[in-house]
Amino acid sequence: MSTAAAEAPAADGVAARARGLTKAYGAGETAVLALDSVDVDIARGRFTAVMGPSGSGKSTLMHCLAGLDTVSAGQVWLGGTEITGLRERELTRLRRDRIGFMFQSFNLIPTLNAAENITLPMDIAGKKPDEKWLNQVIDTLGLRDRLGHRPTQLSGGQQQRVACARALVSRPELIFADEPTGNLDSRAGLEVLGFLREAVDQLGQTVVMVTHDPGAAAHSDLVLFLADGRIVDRMEGPTADAVLERMKRFDVGRGSAGPEED
Amino acid sequence: MLKATLRSFLAHKGRLMLSALAIVLSVAFVAGSLIFSDTVTRTFDRLFASTSADVTVEPKQDLKSSVPTGAVQTVPAALAGEVAKVDGVADTHADVSVQNIVVVDSHNKSVGPTTGAPTIATDWYLTRRSPVKLTSGHAPQGAGQALLDADTADKKHVRIGDTLTVQAQPGTFKVEIVGIATFTTTNPGAALVFLDPAVAAKELLGATGRATSISVDAAQGVTDAELKGRIGAAIGTGTYDLKTADEQAKSSAADLGGFLDVIKYVMLGFAGIATLVGVFLIVNTFSMLIAQRTRELGLLRALGADRRQVRRSVLTEAVLLGLVGSTLGLGAGVGLAFGLIKLMSAFGMNLKATEMVIGWGTPVAAYVVGVGVTFVAAYLPARRAATVSPMAALADAEIAGVGRPLRTRAIVGGAVGAIGAAALAGCAAASKTASAASLLGLGVVLTLIATVIAGPLLVRPVIRVLGGAFPALFGPVGRMSQRNALRNPRRTGATAAALMVGLALVGGMSVASASMSKSFDQQIDKTLGADFVVQNSNFLPFTREITDKVRGTEGVGLVVRQRFAPVAVRLPDGKRVTTTAAGYDAQVDEVAHVAYKGGDTAAALAAGSLGMDVTFAKDHKVRLGSVLPVEFQGGKRAEMKVGALTDQDSSGGFGTQGGLFFGIATVEKYVPGGQDSSLYVNRAPATSADQLRSRLEKTLAPYPQVQVRDQADYKKLVHDQIAVLLYLVYALLGLAIVIAVLGVVNTLALSVVERTREIGLLRAIGLARRQLRRMIRLESVVIAVFGAVLGLALGLVWGVCVQQVLALQGMKALAVPWGTIVAVVIGSAVVGIVAALLPALRASRMNVLAAIAHE
Repeated sequence: MSTAAAEAPAADGVAARARGLTKAYGAGETAVLALDSVDVDIARGRFTAVMGPSGSGKSTLMHCLAGLDTVSAGQVWLGGTEITGLRERELTRLRRDRIGFMFQSFNLIPTLNAAENITLPMDIAGKKPDEKWLNQVIDTLGLRDRLGHRPTQLSGGQQQRVACARALVSRPELIFADEPTGNLDSRAGLEVLGFLREAVDQLGQTVVMVTHDPGAAAHSDLVLFLADGRIVDRMEGPTADAVLERMKRFDVGRGSAGPEED
Repeated sequence: MLKATLRSFLAHKGRLMLSALAIVLSVAFVAGSLIFSDTVTRTFDRLFASTSADVTVEPKQDLKSSVPTGAVQTVPAALAGEVAKVDGVADTHADVSVQNIVVVDSHNKSVGPTTGAPTIATDWYLTRRSPVKLTSGHAPQGAGQALLDADTADKKHVRIGDTLTVQAQPGTFKVEIVGIATFTTTNPGAALVFLDPAVAAKELLGATGRATSISVDAAQGVTDAELKGRIGAAIGTGTYDLKTADEQAKSSAADLGGFLDVIKYVMLGFAGIATLVGVFLIVNTFSMLIAQRTRELGLLRALGADRRQVRRSVLTEAVLLGLVGSTLGLGAGVGLAFGLIKLMSAFGMNLKATEMVIGWGTPVAAYVVGVGVTFVAAYLPARRAATVSPMAALADAEIAGVGRPLRTRAIVGGAVGAIGAAALAGCAAASKTASAASLLGLGVVLTLIATVIAGPLLVRPVIRVLGGAFPALFGPVGRMSQRNALRNPRRTGATAAALMVGLALVGGMSVASASMSKSFDQQIDKTLGADFVVQNSNFLPFTREITDKVRGTEGVGLVVRQRFAPVAVRLPDGKRVTTTAAGYDAQVDEVAHVAYKGGDTAAALAAGSLGMDVTFAKDHKVRLGSVLPVEFQGGKRAEMKVGALTDQDSSGGFGTQGGLFFGIATVEKYVPGGQDSSLYVNRAPATSADQLRSRLEKTLAPYPQVQVRDQADYKKLVHDQIAVLLYLVYALLGLAIVIAVLGVVNTLALSVVERTREIGLLRAIGLARRQLRRMIRLESVVIAVFGAVLGLALGLVWGVCVQQVLALQGMKALAVPWGTIVAVVIGSAVVGIVAALLPALRASRMNVLAAIAHE
């Protein structure tokens, strides 16, 4: 892993990259470092999970990588594009065209039906979705008979599947999923994780998922562990038990777990 | 619980601000109009109380005329001597005071007030009650000298030594201003010219030994009432009206009252509109606050608060809002009254702002309106708050009120609307003006209520159509804005209702006034055959000289005079009708096209005959040839034969009741000394219209009060007068729109807050700020246009019904001002864009992350 910040990264095999990524809240003595000079590469075509105790900075890392939040120092690239320093309008376009999002809850626009929600980013961009791909996504997620439904008429799991379809449909370079199973029961959660897995394995997508559930993290290819704004560990081919064990060590180290925030 | 309420009130103060502003506006208008009219009333009561003689003897005023006739009623000046002999009389004076004059300066410009207040010429006779004192120069001595009041002199730049021309009924004379008299009391806005008492009667009344009234001073220890009784016993009450100082003050104040009442009613109209529109705003605000607080209310209920407590907490919040709004509104009302008083001063009515009267009624009314309206408006939302179940605290519930069925609204709105529609239909079918008008009023109120109630039901179908092209035109942004407007029909309905009320009013009034204009045009085309009409701009009669001068102008062929006389007729059905009749010269057929159902012009204008509107005749069982007893002003009576019946379509237009008319000789005979109100002039052969016009204008140059008008000018004059009414309506509309805009801003702002997460999500997945702003703007436009369409539709129906009522009075044409209506719809779209400015800006500035994380 190279540490030269100014060096243009090779785009090949890396979907997103951060160098010296620092995010501070507040100023002066009271400043809190949410991210402390993080270097990270997100490999293309893989399912990466970001874990860590509350307040470790895992959500902030995702927000900074996705161009949702500004950074205090350091650089972030999406593919070959440096996004730090981009203006608001360019960031918006970047999010629209090159990134897919799934959030924990409130993923869908309540006034639009499932089909309209799925194509919304492309509609906003004024682009026609690729019909073949769209159909493939819809069928993969089993949403064919739900397309005309409004979000209120869908179950929580179905809503997350629609959100997943929306994230996939524009074939983004990167899909960010922020606690996508946080509000679901275990069966619906498993289903959604299965789809994310499928998106990576069969559709060749790149997924970054923030979670605090070791079971969810076990579906990923690689788990990055954050603590106090730094990447402290990584685990290839994780299992739920191994992740849980690793997480327990954080709790011991800290004395006790703080209240859940993200 | 109270503590929680207070906290909540303070926490939401930003969101309550626009509601508070609406309350402030309505309370300000209520308080302002009350303070203003109290101040004026007090000022003039004092003025007239201090200037009225202990007892005043006046000619009997048996027939009050709505149309001024120019005739001055008098009493013999010798009556003063007679009254002086009555026991208990200290002093008497024969007053000469007339208002039927025009005073012009050397440039032929009137020095009179431009406000419609009178120019008064009177004899210079100082008593302790005089409202003026001589401040420079000397008292007028003999003919050719006069004093002018200081305010007029100041305003019109008249100085001592200047010469003014007084056009009085007996004739025009010149006076030199020899002194200035200054008001020691409030100047009600009139212009005053004082003449030497020795010549006043001759100059102003055309006869020595006459007076317009006798002022009587009571001796020490004699009450006014006592003295009035004694004088009445001595001179008889049959021919004279006797008034004590109190009675005189009251009647003077009442004379002035008409003008001031107009101001008061206009202000109350504003207050009414502000209140009505404000109610919608408050209802919406509280509904939204409660919707947003569903979980919080659920928590309160889960913690053991009962329904009554929840309801009471919301209502307490409303009362607090009302109290704050009323207090601020009261202050704003004082400012408004102050401004009005200053404005009146600019027009010459010198009210003193320092003597502002704030009666106990004003704050009471202010708080009753402010708190009452807020309480009533918040009641329904409060009841809804009370129905929030404790479960709402736990569930991530859909916002309350969105999904509830609108069945009750449909039923109530439908029922009220049906009754209202029936009333309007009845109004359209009615044949009597009085019943039609009351049905119209009922119909207007009921259909308005029905539309407000059923408005939310109309949201879906109407906005589907209005916004139907949005997805095609504006893509997903258009689709979302249309759906957002449809999202909560109650909210959209109530927001649009504020705009609807004002626009319905405008729609109705513009149809009515366009129809009136068109009717008058048709009537003028149909009836007016004269080349020119010479008339005072305010239809007041003018000095006889003008008639003589017009007759003497080169190129004038025919002059037909019109003169009004108040009369009372006893009709065969036993009714006694007091109205104003018109007298015409015999050649009236040459200048007007009158259609008769029976008889002809000659028969109507013959001595001892009169003409009458055929409908009026039918209503009162009058037939051609009936003989009716007619009373004239001044007490003369005559038996007159009905010589002709006119078809309604051609009877004048400025409909005096019954459309009575007779020969001008009849007026001269029974009401001598009247002035002409209009001259219909035809040109002589070989004179062109333009030639005659310029000659007439030259002739009439010294008389700035009268104008020469041809048909086109005449139509314009009528249109202008109707337009005055419209301006008032537009002012009301302006206020309604301001508040409606506040309402739309309010709704959007609160909606933006409510949809924070949604907006955050949209921004996260790539909606640009510009697109977000457009989405909110389009929603705003669709709401505003929805309100406009609803309002205009309602207004058009009202306007057509108003026209039906007018048709009963002869105004038969129906005109729909499509231009105005299209302009209003476009204007409403602009209103929508303006209203969306701030909420859209606010939404686009939202921090994406904070918005996503928003609870």
